[in-house]
Amino acid sequence: MNKRLKPSDIAKPSDCLCHIESGELSPLPPPYEDFNQATIPPLKPEKVKNIETSLDDTVAIGIPKPASKEEEEALVRQFLSGLKKLFEKENNWTFLQPLLLSMEHCAKCQTCSNACPVYEMSGRKDIHRPMFRAEVLRRIYNKYLKPGGKITAKLTGDIDLNWTTIARLAELSYRCTLCRRCATVCPIGVDNGLINHEIRKLFSQEMGIAPKEIHEKGTVQQLRVGSSTGMNPLAAKDSVEFIREEMEEITGYKVEIPWDVEGADILLLHNAGEMLAWPENVGAFAIIFQAAGISWTLSSEAAGYDAVNYGLWYDDVQFSRVAVKHADIARKLKVKKIVIGECGHAHKALTVIADRLLTGDLNIPRESALVTLEDIVLNGKIQFDPHKNDFPVTLHDPCNMVRAMGIVEPQRRILRKIAPRFREMTPHGVENYCCGGGSGFAIMSGYNFEAWRNLVSSRKKFLQILTAFQGEPQDVPKYVCAPCSNCKGAIRDLIRFYHAEERSRLYYGGLVELIVNAMANMKRPIILFGEEPSWKS
Amino acid sequence: MGFYTLSYLCILVFILAAGYRVYRQLTLPIHVRWEIYPVQHETTDKLAHGGSYMEEVNWWEKKRESSLLNELKYMVPEILFLRGLWKENRGLWRVSFPFHFGLYLMIATFFLLLLHAFLTLWGILAFAADSAIRTLLDGLIVFTGWIGLILGIIGSLGTFYRRLADPELRDYSSFADYFNIGFIFLFFLSAFVACLLGDPFLEGAKAYTFGLLTGGHSLIPYMPGQSLPGGMAIVTASLLVAYIPLTHMSHMYMKYFLFHNVKWDDTPNRRGGAIEAAILKNLELKPTWKAKHVEADGRKSWQDIASSAPKEMK
Repeated sequence: MNKRLKPSDIAKPSDCLCHIESGELSPLPPPYEDFNQATIPPLKPEKVKNIETSLDDTVAIGIPKPASKEEEEALVRQFLSGLKKLFEKENNWTFLQPLLLSMEHCAKCQTCSNACPVYEMSGRKDIHRPMFRAEVLRRIYNKYLKPGGKITAKLTGDIDLNWTTIARLAELSYRCTLCRRCATVCPIGVDNGLINHEIRKLFSQEMGIAPKEIHEKGTVQQLRVGSSTGMNPLAAKDSVEFIREEMEEITGYKVEIPWDVEGADILLLHNAGEMLAWPENVGAFAIIFQAAGISWTLSSEAAGYDAVNYGLWYDDVQFSRVAVKHADIARKLKVKKIVIGECGHAHKALTVIADRLLTGDLNIPRESALVTLEDIVLNGKIQFDPHKNDFPVTLHDPCNMVRAMGIVEPQRRILRKIAPRFREMTPHGVENYCCGGGSGFAIMSGYNFEAWRNLVSSRKKFLQILTAFQGEPQDVPKYVCAPCSNCKGAIRDLIRFYHAEERSRLYYGGLVELIVNAMANMKRPIILFGEEPSWKS
Repeated sequence: MGFYTLSYLCILVFILAAGYRVYRQLTLPIHVRWEIYPVQHETTDKLAHGGSYMEEVNWWEKKRESSLLNELKYMVPEILFLRGLWKENRGLWRVSFPFHFGLYLMIATFFLLLLHAFLTLWGILAFAADSAIRTLLDGLIVFTGWIGLILGIIGSLGTFYRRLADPELRDYSSFADYFNIGFIFLFFLSAFVACLLGDPFLEGAKAYTFGLLTGGHSLIPYMPGQSLPGGMAIVTASLLVAYIPLTHMSHMYMKYFLFHNVKWDDTPNRRGGAIEAAILKNLELKPTWKAKHVEADGRKSWQDIASSAPKEMK
């Protein structure tokens, strides 16, 4: 039974504001019907006894419960102090204008709800409406920070502010993937994704509240050690050396991977997660760049070998620090441009958002690897035999590259040339659906969050993938091309969770692997379907 | 004269409130880019798939092209016919379109009435009684006025009903949301009744608008304020003019900023350019965020903080 919830209900104490019952999630087609009755595995009481869990069936942050009423009240005051700062130029020049415009002009028409995959897949739970959390913030702001707000709140929408409201709002800001599909459909131009981003920021920058995967193990670790993976420069160089050897062994192609070449044309920034989880991606880039005769380099300086910038999702200060570091490394290497590898959020962070942060000689030209690759593939710099990729391929559009940057066609033009059985998902391009791992979800797996992601936020993508391959025999291997590390992580987890390799022979990987796989002079395939090579050498 | 005083006051409130809203937008610090594609001023080949100039190799070396025509091709149907709502929320469009189009026609009628008043006031020869221009303008006023009133009544009733009957909308609606629609409905209804009962050719509206320009002097003895519905129409129309810029209904014109300053603001920052100068100014601002990892003390600027690594974790 879907219990209706209004924004003001967020303040009413209960053990669980929103629970997904068995059978409420959007149904999956055969052979996945056995997942239709699935529910999110219950949180283990011993693990959550001291943390806030009253929003729903999962936990993303794990906020400690205040020890006393006084502590609760202090946290409420801290929240209000942070909220005020969101509307001050000294503290929030970065997003003040977009925030004000979205806060002041929503007509509450709910057009955004139908665009949201989390809302749809959750069985249309009210808390997942894009405007639910925005309206909570709007009401708190209007009531507690605007003059006369406590009187006008009776007319414009009331809400109580207590620790329950705040703890739930913090958690709720980590149920939205920031895919901004809602913003594209708003008839007025209101961006509830942005408001969600600002809520996360308030909690992080004022109260020090953020999921540890993206803060402590993310930006803090990247700035201290050099990478959110925990790899220091030495470890990164070792990993890449291992990849270099592996590539030769797998493909028979001898490749060199240059480090710290001053004056190179390109500084290639990889998501360092690729080095550990998908080494073939790093190797494939090296093969392509070498084969095309490109002057390029990697950087071994701390943070220079990891393109990620998790600050994008939750904290402008951490974002700025990482972006400045990246730009400074490129400046010192005197490269002509930075090319960002297959990592969606790194694309948006360094190319678009940091564009209004980097000045002078830090403002080094930045380009998407998809664009660089298109130039290589389509301009005859490498010879291809597309029939090597004779298997069904579909393309996942990372939101940060497509909807947030307008990089839509380069990857398609490549695929049309090298993957004869390429087909689109529906919808695709700027109307795509998020992989469900956006805004940090792909790397967040504490408590039971990974199960929530697989069952709810990634569900729409799973349905899209299945539909794209409809009509293909079950035993034919199928390749989901996801040119983004976080998206790949989410799709990897989906395939595992739903046993989709066994049931549908679903495989996934990046774009560069497909390119290398189709290179005419490659001795052995780089893409394997389990143990089976994708073509016979 | 009481009606005129009210109208003048309300127009003044409108100018001040709308002006303040616009002024505030124009003086806010430049923000980071947050565009979302498709960006409608892109060239046709890019716009077809929602692409951007960043799809080009070495895009910074090329001349940036954009298309005002493409932007207009999107904006005109969006503003006039609520194209986005038609595409994404057809059920709501059925009531929202007549509501908004009724308001647009009322605004159009007002400007036609103003034109009529000016031409009368200036004693333009070609605007003499029975002239073709006058007949055309009179006809247009009647046409836009009546169609606007009818659409407005249908639309405001429909919108009100929909907000009340649809739980999706009802759960998020406040008293103010119903009041706003009710207020607009009251204007449409009173103007409609005033015209229906004694002024089908909107002569009273013409006379009142003329009076607005002349401090209450009227050319004809009939004035809408002499009847209850006519007086109501003047009062509600005047108050609406003052009220709209004080509420979220200001989206009517603030939508410009939502689209042009955020959704479609894709202008790249060039070295030595105006954007860079604005960023440098922003980087001098001194934040006071309290989380330890920010390490803000009110003395360090954004620039200082962005070029340092945090010592604290939280």
